Amino acid sequence: MTAVAASIPPQWYLLLATAVFCIGLFGVLTRNDALYFLMSVELMMNAANINFVAFALYYGDLTGQVFALFVIALAAAEVAIGIGIILVLYRNFGVTDVTVPTEMRW
Amino acid sequence: MIDVFSYVPAIVLLPFFSFLVALGVGKHLPKGGAFGGIAATAGSFLLSLWVLATVAGGEAANRTLYTWADAGGIGPTDIELSFGILIDPLSALMLVIVTLVALLVHVFSLGYMNDEGETGLPRYYAGLGLFSASMLGFVVADNLLMAFMFFELVGLCSYLLIGFHFREPGPPSAAKKAFLVTRFGDYFFLIGVVAVLATFGTAQFAGEGSFPALAEAALNGSGSVAWTPGGVELQTWLTVVGLLVLGGVVGKSAQFPLHTWLPDAMEGPTPVSALIHAATMVAAGVYLVARMYGFYALSPTALAIIAFIGGFTALFAATMGLVKDELKQVLAYSTISQYGYMMLALGAGGYVAAVFHLTTHAFFKALLFLGAGAVIIAMHHNEDMWDMGGLKSKMPVTYYTFLAGSLALAGIFPFAGFWSKDEILYEALVHGLNDPLLLGGYLMGLLAVPVTAFYTFRMVFLTFHGEPRSATARDPEPVRWNVKGPLTVLGVLAVVTGFINMVPVQKVLGVEGIDLLHLWLDNHWGGIDGLSSHHYADIGPYSSGYLVGGEVGTVLVGAAVSLGLALGGLLVAWRLYNVPSPTEHTAKLGGIKDVLYNNYYLDELQVWLAYRTEDVAGGANTFDQGIIDGVVNGVSSVSLFGGSRVRRLQSGVVSQYATLLTLGLVALLLALGVSGGWFL
Repeated sequence: MTAVAASIPPQWYLLLATAVFCIGLFGVLTRNDALYFLMSVELMMNAANINFVAFALYYGDLTGQVFALFVIALAAAEVAIGIGIILVLYRNFGVTDVTVPTEMRW
Repeated sequence: MIDVFSYVPAIVLLPFFSFLVALGVGKHLPKGGAFGGIAATAGSFLLSLWVLATVAGGEAANRTLYTWADAGGIGPTDIELSFGILIDPLSALMLVIVTLVALLVHVFSLGYMNDEGETGLPRYYAGLGLFSASMLGFVVADNLLMAFMFFELVGLCSYLLIGFHFREPGPPSAAKKAFLVTRFGDYFFLIGVVAVLATFGTAQFAGEGSFPALAEAALNGSGSVAWTPGGVELQTWLTVVGLLVLGGVVGKSAQFPLHTWLPDAMEGPTPVSALIHAATMVAAGVYLVARMYGFYALSPTALAIIAFIGGFTALFAATMGLVKDELKQVLAYSTISQYGYMMLALGAGGYVAAVFHLTTHAFFKALLFLGAGAVIIAMHHNEDMWDMGGLKSKMPVTYYTFLAGSLALAGIFPFAGFWSKDEILYEALVHGLNDPLLLGGYLMGLLAVPVTAFYTFRMVFLTFHGEPRSATARDPEPVRWNVKGPLTVLGVLAVVTGFINMVPVQKVLGVEGIDLLHLWLDNHWGGIDGLSSHHYADIGPYSSGYLVGGEVGTVLVGAAVSLGLALGGLLVAWRLYNVPSPTEHTAKLGGIKDVLYNNYYLDELQVWLAYRTEDVAGGANTFDQGIIDGVVNGVSSVSLFGGSRVRRLQSGVVSQYATLLTLGLVALLLALGVSGGWFL
């Protein structure tokens, strides 16, 4: 398995990560629903994870993998908070559309 | 061995604490906080006596306590701005005078303010405390800038206290006048302080690197100054700097032409008048010249101007005192006149004589003002001397102490004022014989002697002698111990203070060692190098000339002439006013009377000048409001307008923020790419 993964040139991993990241970004920019936001952000984070793991493999250094584990754990925490925010949003405004609440403006 | 000089700040801080206490909790204290003030000034007085004893033991102090700004090598010299103390014979003596008079004034206030049922007493005692503290800070100041700060504080306190009865129309206006007129002089003083700092890089009074020492070294070629304005000779520039500082002195010490605030300042409560005129504010000006006498002595022109202003003011103010009807007004003009004498002495090279007169005057003028306060209590706050008369038998303590003060003021042998005034006139005479301008000052000072004696005893006779001329004078209100006590202490001092410096006796009889003040100020018991009267005489421009009979003859002739003139003035007053029912004799003066009564129309002149310069002031106002404020307001409105537009970005829609973030990231990447050459 490692041999197969290592035989793929690193720029392919980078291209894959960029693609995943851009899909996440596209989701954030085009969707109005907070739940889609959450999922898109998840994609963007995993794009970063792909980079970490790919470079860890490329350099034969485990630090990147450890970081990837940290990011996964962090993402879990972030989702918990994110869902909490969305629940509060729903309770206060009855929607999960982020364009509706505009109280925090000038 | 306890280091007494480390307690010197406490002398200043004690009255300051009494100010804070009276201001903060004075309402809840008995007597409106008076006891706090009495305790504080008594503590300062005791500490000052201790300092005096230590200085007499040969010690002195010149210390920097706190440096609050340091140029750090920017500019031509490394300027440090600091607070410090300078304790030498002069300041130790002045500390004792100021704290003693302040203490007695506090005690007297119990009788004058508390017993008379005044309101607002905490404010009054707070003012007195701050006033004493500022003056004491000024006295111990070791550099010109610190002296200037406390000088200004003294001015502020005089404003607060003169305007104490702010609900009546007179006092607030008098307070404003005192503030503005002295501020006019202080403006020049401030420029002088800056000039001293720029010229010498220091404003220290004493020591190797002090500005008088630097000026002296630069003048005799063994040193140089940091800066003089281009093309101006050093001697000329030193004179200019000295005259700038003198502006503040003329304002505070009420010298012509800035004396007009002082008679109006009589609107303040009488104990405040005593404090202002005897020991604090007005004395500050003369003290400042004495403090930096090593600087003034280098400039013959400045000295001549000081002497001439002094002599002229002495005569000029005395003539105005001739026709006044109100007790305190007479005293006000006598104050101006007496400070004129001190300036004459300083200008004539009589450093010791000036300090001597400052000392004796502090006691007898405080005595006269407090005595006048006692009379005013007795007369139910009627100050018109024509309503008094016959108070001699009703208030003997006040009468005899007031008489002692009057004899001192008139310069009658052997009261305090005789010795000091005689020494001033002697110094002016012997130095003036070689210097016509100084001789003019001497002649004016001499002419003022009979005038002084006349108006002083006109006041005494009208107030205390003859028949009572009103119902209150027939049945005056009695005064208590808190009035009589201070009067007695000062009465004794007014009699005996002259004996600390019996120079004429020494010169005529040849008894050595009875000119204590001369020895004291000449660092006989120790002091700081370069601050002795001997040193001042060495660097000063004057040489002595004598009349017939050498020194002894001159002393005798001078003393005889001034004493004879004083007795003459007294006798005229006796003839005219010591009768059962005196009448006004001013009508004989004809047109002069009106001129005198209206103070030579100087107030009118100043008002006229103020109207003439209205356009300039208006222009400055327009410049200030239009240009200066315009720039500030312009900057603020640009910011406000820009802010009100830019804040629209804060829409509250999260998606837009995300878009902006992304756009920002893209822009950053593009910028990095272009500058990094990725796209080439």
